[in-house]
Amino acid sequence: MRVEGSEFLRGAKSDLEKLVGELAQYFQYVSILATDSWGKRYGVQKSGVQVEESRWTERGFVARVFNGRNYSEYSFNQLQPVADMVDAVREAAERSLRRMTQAGAPVARLPLIEETETEGSFHGEVGILPGRMSVADKLARLAEIRDQAFAQSERLVDFRAIYEEVQVAKVFLSQRKQLEQAYVWSQGYLFPIVRRDGRTKRAFRAFSGLKGPELLEEMAGAVPASIQLAESLLDAAAVPPGEYEVICAPEVVGLIAHEAFGHGVEMDMFVKKRAKAEEYLGQAVASPLVTMHDGAAAACHVSSYWFDDEGTPAGDTIIIDAGILRTGISDLLSALRLGTPPTGNGKRESFERKAYARMTNTFFAPGNDRLEEMIASIRHGYLLDGAESGMEDPKNWGIQCMVLRGQEIRDGRLTGKLVSPVLMTGYVPDLLRSISMVSGEVRLFGSGACGKGHKEWAKVSDGGPYIKAKARLG
Amino acid sequence: MIEMIRQILQNHPEVDAFTIGAELTESLELFFIRRELDMNRAKKVAHYRVTVYKDFEADGVRYRGSAQVEIHPTLSGPEIRRAVADAVFAAALVRNPWYPLVEPAPLIVEAPPGNFGTGDLADWLPALTEALYRNDCHEAGWINSAEVFLNRIKLRLVNSAGVDRSRVAYGAELEVIVNWREADHEVEIFRDLHFAAFGPDAIAAQVREMLHYGREKALARLTPALRQYTVILTGEPVREFFRYYQAQVGAQNVYEGTSLFKVGQSVQGDAVRGDRISLSLDPTLPFSTASSPFDPDGLPVQPVVIVRDGRLLRYRGDTRYASYLGVPPTGNIANLVIDGGSRPLAELKADPYLEIASFSDFQMDPLTGDFGGEIRLGWYNDGHQTVPVSGGSISGNIRAVQEEMYLSRELQQENNFVGPQSVKLLNVSVTGAQ
Repeated sequence: MRVEGSEFLRGAKSDLEKLVGELAQYFQYVSILATDSWGKRYGVQKSGVQVEESRWTERGFVARVFNGRNYSEYSFNQLQPVADMVDAVREAAERSLRRMTQAGAPVARLPLIEETETEGSFHGEVGILPGRMSVADKLARLAEIRDQAFAQSERLVDFRAIYEEVQVAKVFLSQRKQLEQAYVWSQGYLFPIVRRDGRTKRAFRAFSGLKGPELLEEMAGAVPASIQLAESLLDAAAVPPGEYEVICAPEVVGLIAHEAFGHGVEMDMFVKKRAKAEEYLGQAVASPLVTMHDGAAAACHVSSYWFDDEGTPAGDTIIIDAGILRTGISDLLSALRLGTPPTGNGKRESFERKAYARMTNTFFAPGNDRLEEMIASIRHGYLLDGAESGMEDPKNWGIQCMVLRGQEIRDGRLTGKLVSPVLMTGYVPDLLRSISMVSGEVRLFGSGACGKGHKEWAKVSDGGPYIKAKARLG
Repeated sequence: MIEMIRQILQNHPEVDAFTIGAELTESLELFFIRRELDMNRAKKVAHYRVTVYKDFEADGVRYRGSAQVEIHPTLSGPEIRRAVADAVFAAALVRNPWYPLVEPAPLIVEAPPGNFGTGDLADWLPALTEALYRNDCHEAGWINSAEVFLNRIKLRLVNSAGVDRSRVAYGAELEVIVNWREADHEVEIFRDLHFAAFGPDAIAAQVREMLHYGREKALARLTPALRQYTVILTGEPVREFFRYYQAQVGAQNVYEGTSLFKVGQSVQGDAVRGDRISLSLDPTLPFSTASSPFDPDGLPVQPVVIVRDGRLLRYRGDTRYASYLGVPPTGNIANLVIDGGSRPLAELKADPYLEIASFSDFQMDPLTGDFGGEIRLGWYNDGHQTVPVSGGSISGNIRAVQEEMYLSRELQQENNFVGPQSVKLLNVSVTGAQ
């Protein structure tokens, strides 16, 4: 089914075009990003039901202008007469800049954005449009999923089934660009919480993609496995601290890709001299088995779009090619400063926030090994699955990955013993250079949100094949 | 706009109750690379968040369904009516036990005094910047980059029971990255500071401490493999550590069965040998962006003690979940206060220890009590000398350490958290980086 664009944006477009035209009399570069994304989050658990606005809902505008030295922005969400909006943008551009220059603050100088004439629109496809399935049916399906879970286990304290759908619509206008796009993504979670003898454990299974309510059927099919996973954790022990041979499942591989050379090659970090990766371009940073991509056009997942929030077309960047670090991912203003081409990675949390260099779909490319061979090759180690969270350190290449579960491997076999939770840490190049086997199937996961530092949440996906590596666990 | 929404809700025959939360935000933002202003941004946005309630009975039980919807200021009257109708339809499908809305009542406390409300918002930017860069005066260390956000938020909360509250809140955020170089080794320290009132000396002190930490990290050795060791958490990880108790004393967690805490019982186990914690909520905390005389439902709030000397006195809960448990609500207060311990930090360091002041991302699982994180900066004391260390990680479970933990007498404040500067834990698993 074709995803239609926003009626509201279509109605507002004429005024926004006039606004660009009027502002162009005062500023050499003007652009406006207009957004109208709506979504709902439905949750069902043992003791309650929720219907809430999705946190990704937004409707508003951000104007960017070249103020003669660098760029100023104004975010707003009320339409006024064009003359009033022109005054508001001009005032916003000048107010704090004027106050800071009066106080003697030095101001950076950036080049003028040069654009090529581009016009067009993109409409995504989805199995079922969110509006084609009633709220009643969505809640009923979630309730069935919950009831199915409680029928399966007496150890359940609670079981939460959550489904969220978002329809994104954006328009980008500048003196030389007129772009529109609309697409749908969704995500879902199963959260079993189990208890035995006063010991409580939780697990989760997550689902996501450029999908609509058809995601609910994927979720329903995974209920038994999610319960089994949670119950298995009741017998899990703490991992004895140390370095091990590990096999990382695709979800954990995605976390590694994301934290290791995803954040590490965001090129606004190059501008600030915060990224060690800048010094290693053209050099080996990983095993020759490692090739890593990022791009909205590199895969079809929750961060696939036609143009980014600065009007740059989506790309497919090969960050690491057979172990060699090739390039980073860039927003438009960082590319201007660095004299490099923008890669379509300029993303905003919403129209209310600044655009930064952000990841889209980030993943390791497949290899030729089979999982069974990888397990058979390990004398003592762990198969790690269930990515919980991670944190980057672009300056010093430390990495932290919180993993839900490790399955012990001894003498080439899974022993059935579990450790949980597992904290995987290390020095990024050591970890990536230790990769000795890579499986053939790539899977992507997009149910989480990526922050820049501790804020600026953006939708991304990441993943890869199974990999075998050496890592410190604790 | 809020009156139009209220009229539409009042005239809708299927709406049994409603709340409207309005936020009008004006924001000024500066982005620096080193000392140069790289970009300036401004924001003026309005958000209207509506919750509609639908009451019904089934099998003799009262239910209250609800659904939330955001009413964008660009929606027309007919569009708002359609959005409300959709929300009412959804609310009728939500079968939650009935609970009351907050009723009108006089406020009990006042919001702490701030100073961002005086003068033009833009006039505060040079002052904030001066405080930020005051200690940026070293050759080997410097502010790499910084982001400054200053928000003025006009809040109004209206419900169908007659509550109509409003206030103006201010919030500043400074994201600061500091670098330090020793020989050819350069490191960075990151902090994200939030505060509701201008305290230039506190800002400057934070940057000074970051520069000190940067120097220490640049000189740090790799953390040795200590296996089980005494760990002292200092500064920012302390707040995250106490998130377990903050969650477990919550009425919602108790109602949902994810907390087994019982009023009158010890929250730290049966054989406490170390310090017993005291936990309270204080909606009047100075400098906190979460301070407010009423909670997000409009309930007047006041300081309240939840745990005293390790014993749970009452649950922390909003109107809905307190009603479910049949206890008085404390209101949803986001300011957490943990009392300090009986000993100064110096005494906690009497025996060998690993003190950790900075993690990549220290995490406490508020449900299971599992905690851990990669060490970015710590100090290893082997009984003879103390050296800065980095790398490796710690992990553990709070239930294994809570019976003998020690809190420093010295306190810290980080926005909406006041608590001990340090917490000493015994026999924590330490993975080395060597």
